[in-house]
Amino acid sequence: MDDKDLMKRAEAELREAHDFDPRDPLFGLSKDELRGNKISRRATLRLLAAGGALTVAQVLPGLRPTAAFAGGHGGGELKCAWSGVGEIVTLDPAQINQVLQFQIASNVMSGLMHIDNTLVAQGDLAENWEVSADGLNYTIKLREGVTFHNGDAFTADDVLFTFERSSNPETSIHSRVIANVAQLEKLNDLEVKFTLKKPQASFLTKALERASGRAMTIVSRGGLEALGTAQYGLTPVGTGPYKITSHQQGQSVVLEKFADYYDPERPKLDKITITPVDGAEPLAAALEAGDIQYVGGNPVPAQLVDRFKQNPDLSVDVKPGPGFQSIWINPWRDFMRVDNFDKPLEELKKEKGFMVRLALAKALDRDLFIQQGRFGNGVPAHGTINPAMGFYFDDTLAGSSEQAFDPEGAKQLMADAGYPNGEGFPELKLQTTPNTRRDGLVVANIFKQVLGITVTVDPKDFSVGIEEFNKMDFDLRLGGSGGDYDPDDGLVDWMQTSSKFNGRDRDQSVHPFGFFSEAESDAAIDAQSVTAKPEERRELVQKANAITSNKVACGFLYHPVDILVHNKSVIVPEDARIPGLHELDRISLA
Amino acid sequence: MIAYILRRLIGAVLVMLAVATLVFFMLRLVPGDPIAAMLADAGSEEAREAITRKLGLDQPLPIQFGRWFGNMLQGDLGASIYGSNQPVTKILLEALPRTMSLAFLSFIIALLIAVPAGIISATRKNTAADTTVSFFAFVGLSMPDFWLAILLIIVFAANLQWLPAIGYQPLSAGVIPWLSHLILPAIAIGTGFSAIIARMIRSSMLEVLQADYMRTAASKGLPTRILLLRHAFPNALIPVITVIGIAFALLISGAVVVENVFAIKGLGRVLIQGIQNRDYPVVQGAVLVVSAFFVLSNLLVDLLYAVIDPRIRYS
Repeated sequence: MDDKDLMKRAEAELREAHDFDPRDPLFGLSKDELRGNKISRRATLRLLAAGGALTVAQVLPGLRPTAAFAGGHGGGELKCAWSGVGEIVTLDPAQINQVLQFQIASNVMSGLMHIDNTLVAQGDLAENWEVSADGLNYTIKLREGVTFHNGDAFTADDVLFTFERSSNPETSIHSRVIANVAQLEKLNDLEVKFTLKKPQASFLTKALERASGRAMTIVSRGGLEALGTAQYGLTPVGTGPYKITSHQQGQSVVLEKFADYYDPERPKLDKITITPVDGAEPLAAALEAGDIQYVGGNPVPAQLVDRFKQNPDLSVDVKPGPGFQSIWINPWRDFMRVDNFDKPLEELKKEKGFMVRLALAKALDRDLFIQQGRFGNGVPAHGTINPAMGFYFDDTLAGSSEQAFDPEGAKQLMADAGYPNGEGFPELKLQTTPNTRRDGLVVANIFKQVLGITVTVDPKDFSVGIEEFNKMDFDLRLGGSGGDYDPDDGLVDWMQTSSKFNGRDRDQSVHPFGFFSEAESDAAIDAQSVTAKPEERRELVQKANAITSNKVACGFLYHPVDILVHNKSVIVPEDARIPGLHELDRISLA
Repeated sequence: MIAYILRRLIGAVLVMLAVATLVFFMLRLVPGDPIAAMLADAGSEEAREAITRKLGLDQPLPIQFGRWFGNMLQGDLGASIYGSNQPVTKILLEALPRTMSLAFLSFIIALLIAVPAGIISATRKNTAADTTVSFFAFVGLSMPDFWLAILLIIVFAANLQWLPAIGYQPLSAGVIPWLSHLILPAIAIGTGFSAIIARMIRSSMLEVLQADYMRTAASKGLPTRILLLRHAFPNALIPVITVIGIAFALLISGAVVVENVFAIKGLGRVLIQGIQNRDYPVVQGAVLVVSAFFVLSNLLVDLLYAVIDPRIRYS
């Protein structure tokens, strides 16, 4: 067979493999085709296509996948590095405070819901659910026959136990996530009913989500009592696809396949070893030497991405990430003071303090920053709603926002505020963490070039920086959010007067609000929170997003991208590519 | 001698208690909010208040100190306030074998390089051999250990793929896995220390070689090997032992950068992460252990003086 014939055959097989109704649980195959001890080539390719893992290379003779892989029972051990972290301090959902922790816990614990790769909530331990017409009652039928890693059966009592534990601020830091739940009732062993105080659009995708939500990630009462909370934090017992067999804090976490997981097709791998690696060069060397095959944790250091792309043994996949990074501008500093954002925009534009804020935001050359600071990895940001949210993301905002990059407009605003070419403008401090110092230097350089003002970078340990941010004791601060899967994550958590990050430890007698407060956007954010219809909700989300952008709640800088780096021997199907998460149960080895 | 050791041990305990007290109060003066760091993107005001109450951080400082001090005297160093509240003793007991292994191996490597280099340099003063040793000693001193660590990783792990780039295996997993994971970090740390010790041996040996008793020994016709190893080297060891004692204590607490590069969670890394998170109990416990190593290694050095030089007697 010559190359031309080979390609024709490959194309035909590819077409045939993808020709099925995605709603069909058997993907157009008969039960007989999936029965027995051997799977046909047709069925193998169909299953690969259904899993999103079929490529032309796999249909070419000599490269075709094995029956074992196609059936999803690849086995083997995967060695992972968790980047940018020295240790995994906890895996107890009640205490998890970093994305890189729930990236692991989400493979060990289940929730009632779990988002898919389009950020839509799917049932996890919830088999199905019903929402009342008023949006206040969620009746959830639980999956039957699920067991915890310690052999205990999963029932409605575990949902109630988890709820009680997570509602108590003494035992969980996530009580706020489920504060809108008025009551949780057990209807029977496999059915529960949540009654909400007010409708909540993000209830399924946030409050009940196993990864980002954490409050309703189901914990094992038996496991907690047997291990105690400290040990449970290291080796939690859940109902997830993997169980933790060893956790040496600061050295490694070992996950092993849970044979009784409710989905017999998952997990694919037998064992996963996760090593925290804090440092770019050791991470690169370990990956290049083959000591590790897959990178999770904090984003891969931006300076390594091109190097990895050039390595023929490695695969680099870039997708929009769930988060945003901003330059926070303190409105209580005299030279950029705005004590009332409720005025119409045109009126605000006449105030010197607002002119300076807007000039700073307009001066942000986001493309240059992404090129120099993030080595080309990022998406310019003009609001909190990130491109990974897809449906809610407003791709016209970059052009329409008052914050759109406009160096001449920014200079003019500074001149109008009394600081032509930055003359007479005081030196500002830009607070960063030690890890984001370089980003800060790029931003400072952009301000110098565009506005002629001097900004000194002031790196501080996170524990110090967050204290000053909460007290509104800063000029400028570089920071933002990750793991934002629902508009509530960006808007409710950050952009409302009552947001948890909005200067919560400020002296309220001096500062009536933190970094931003605007009645119209507050109302739109409240309204979108209780709107169940997606189109209506999107309109409100985009309205609030535009107001916070135009009135400069902060200078939005960039949306991080989700960069997955792994050895080519690791097969990561499309459904395992949830931005910011690692669905290790769907991954296999070639 | 025993009375002297007992006196020193009592003194050591007092020093450690003083250090612990000082660290307790100094930590509270350092800016940074441990609860804010712990809650990060999560947590309501109620959660914050509940955690503060649970950890006793709402109590007046003297009461917090009294509780901690009382528990410490009973061997309870408290629990980490970050993450899942691991007992500090457990954290330290897990980190110590890694640090001790690394320190021990680094120490051996440092001595294996430094002793012959120092002796050769001293006995062949102003020759090509002396210049070569001095040159490499300066290079070793000037080279930051993290830079050497990365260089070793690139050469031996990434390119040659002879040794693992990261991680640690305990001795219980076998000598080869233990050694293969520790050899690169031990070389990275040991090289710098070998340069210091070699320079110290050289200058100390040069002083001893000019002493009257060395001339007498040489005039008696003793072979050079005996002269150097039996008479000169032991007498040159007193200042060297002092440096080695301090170096060993420094290795216990100061290998943090190399530990980080090779992803080994030793005592230094525990201490630094504790400081970054303002994890008071962890920092207090780690400082206590480090101070114990400094005090005990000083005591050991003092006792070694008497072993090396019979003229030194303690009463």
